[in-house]
Amino acid sequence: MDISRESRQRRVLKTDMASTQQRVAVCADNRFTKKKPPLQRLRLVLFLLAVPLLLIVSLMLGPSGIGFPDLDSPVGSAIASLRFSRMLMGMMTGAALAASGVVFQALLRNPLAEPYVLGVSGGAGLGATVSILAGASLALPMSLPVVAFMSAVLTLLLVYGIASQGSAGQPSVYSLILSGVIVSAICSSIIMFLVSTASVDGMHNVIWWMLGSLQPASTAQQQFSALLIVGGIAGCWVLSSRLNALVLGREMAHYQGINAGVVIIVGLLFSTLLAATAVSLSGMIGFVGLIVPHVMRASFGPDHRRLLPLAALGGGVFLVICDAVARTILAPVEIPVGVVTALVGGPFFLLILHRRMKQAWIA
Amino acid sequence: MKMAENALTFLDVSAGYRHHKVLDSVSFSLKAGEFVSLIGPNGSGKSTLLKTAAAFIKPLEGKVELFGRDVSHLPPRERAALLGIVPQKLESPMAFTVEQIVTNGRVASMGLFRPATSSDHDLVERAMIYTDVLAMRDRFFGELSGGEQQRVALAMVLAQEPKLIMLDESISHLDINHRNEVLQILLKLNREEQLTILLVSHDLSLSAAISDRLILMQDGAIRAAGIPKDVLKADLLSGVYNCDLQVRQDLYTGALQVSGPIEGQKRLSPTGCRVHVIAGGGSGIELFRRLLLEGHRVTAGVLNLLDSDAEAARALNIEAVFDQPFSPIGAPALERAGRLSEAADAVIVSHVPFGAGNLVNLDLAAEALKQGRRVYIANGISGRDYTSGKLATQKVEALFNDGAVEWESLHELLTVLHENQK
Repeated sequence: MDISRESRQRRVLKTDMASTQQRVAVCADNRFTKKKPPLQRLRLVLFLLAVPLLLIVSLMLGPSGIGFPDLDSPVGSAIASLRFSRMLMGMMTGAALAASGVVFQALLRNPLAEPYVLGVSGGAGLGATVSILAGASLALPMSLPVVAFMSAVLTLLLVYGIASQGSAGQPSVYSLILSGVIVSAICSSIIMFLVSTASVDGMHNVIWWMLGSLQPASTAQQQFSALLIVGGIAGCWVLSSRLNALVLGREMAHYQGINAGVVIIVGLLFSTLLAATAVSLSGMIGFVGLIVPHVMRASFGPDHRRLLPLAALGGGVFLVICDAVARTILAPVEIPVGVVTALVGGPFFLLILHRRMKQAWIA
Repeated sequence: MKMAENALTFLDVSAGYRHHKVLDSVSFSLKAGEFVSLIGPNGSGKSTLLKTAAAFIKPLEGKVELFGRDVSHLPPRERAALLGIVPQKLESPMAFTVEQIVTNGRVASMGLFRPATSSDHDLVERAMIYTDVLAMRDRFFGELSGGEQQRVALAMVLAQEPKLIMLDESISHLDINHRNEVLQILLKLNREEQLTILLVSHDLSLSAAISDRLILMQDGAIRAAGIPKDVLKADLLSGVYNCDLQVRQDLYTGALQVSGPIEGQKRLSPTGCRVHVIAGGGSGIELFRRLLLEGHRVTAGVLNLLDSDAEAARALNIEAVFDQPFSPIGAPALERAGRLSEAADAVIVSHVPFGAGNLVNLDLAAEALKQGRRVYIANGISGRDYTSGKLATQKVEALFNDGAVEWESLHELLTVLHENQK
């Protein structure tokens, strides 16, 4: 490569950025840059084709029988509408959890990070438990998601505050994770305490809620949650190029002109919003926020501009399928969807990760 | 471009971490278009200086200016357009490809909402061509060798298009071919684009060959700055690096060559002289270590048990006399130490603080001097004299009058010992 010619052209480029002619002269058509490895593109097409298929399959599964319900009969249309709204619930919850997991893993630079790691879900769960036991969730329709989000943010602030102690206001990743785990443990023991002293009714409500379920919430809550989730995912996606830079560490991101502290705080707030909304909508559903980001990263690479929307989509579909299995396999008994996510998803994901982990994480 | 413009200016900058000040009122400036090497021993504050220049660490006092603008008030994006830093090592826990890593260089100028344009792609591509990493664009960054990773890091910073690049010992891991290539790229950018470059380097000869100026740091302060010939002086370097260094000028090319003490090591006699060290409070650890390295036979005492010098003497297997901790030195211990001191060719008093308890140790030095042996006493006794009535200062003054030698730096002391041994 004749570097001197290159650099002369570069000076021209600098003085005359507007001229596309010059730019083309430098590098014919970005032919290297535009190229994507064909395998990855094939994988992407297959995935995007599979999404609607899997959603349709989920509509065919249910305790009342396999296949589409008869829309002409009132029972059939009721079943169809129930299945459809469960699909929406699953899409929302799964997308929120997976997107939140992607952001947490990037901000904390840690493969063990998930929506629940910073005590976010513990806090949301505690708020929701109090709200359920106090009966507030019945009195005010929006109180459950709002209380869950408020207490999740409070927990996050607490965790961030604890982690910042003794580090000049900028907590290290490790102190964040450590204080998150501790605060999380404290939250769950308070939940245990509240549950153990609650009335039988309250106990039943809380435990049923904690196991996680995609029973449709009220329409108002669904609309409100959808708004929060779409907003949260969009917010995270705007940050995605910053997340890429932050993976190289806070210092390097700073050198590249990124306000790392602000990105971390805003990212944590958005992903907390997502996790808290998911928890308030469907209870504690594990596994989705941890594993789906890993699988999507292993399949489509760690570039967050692609990873984030794909993970949201993948998380949603995964949870919808798991829910369809949960309500069908032992019908009429419905097993908690969290059980299915781990039992069915675990081995499948282990297989993928085993083969493709190299393309997700280095260590 | 005005050549007179300052690319980087430090005005009385003190900076550091909590409880630990690293930079101590540092002032210097880089002219736009200069190629400067920053040299100095480990821990002299070179990396901290870089971090402060990039506003990653806020100065405790003073002001840093980038191209005439206060860096602490510069928006991050504009700062990144002026200053790029190539780190010692770039780490990516996720499996980004080389190209994705280099694209990060454009992240600030792309903004939050604007996608990458073809001019961004061009810059990324050109940076990869410059650094010879284009062929590995689709490989995973983590699978590359250390030197290849360094070139990718440089490509990322080049894609950022800064006007000033700082390299934090980034080229020391490169093989000789790629080191020369990277240096050629840097020199070329410096010459043709007036890119200002600050290279942190441990290769003094190389720095001298390529730089317009050298800046030598020691203990968080700038010890010397100027053209290579003025900074690479044997006595100055030997003092700063605390070891014996020679500077030679190549007869044909005029290039300066700095060579270290290893070359001379073989000529050292294996059994140096026998020295007795009076130390305490941690002032003797470095002394012990260096004396032993130079091949001297070392004895020490009297030391109080539990004192860090006593621990060091034990760990280094130094014959020493110990007395009870936290109590005045008793006569029996002093007598035993006297026997050790008598057997030694020289007695060295470290920068040990004196109080009523260990004042008698100075009698060992007085005794040695009387018997006609050499005595070296560390300077600045009045600053560490805690006896009432400044008894230690009086005693030391008396010793100096009787012929004791005052020493300041360890390197100086070792040189004198070595010469006397011959």
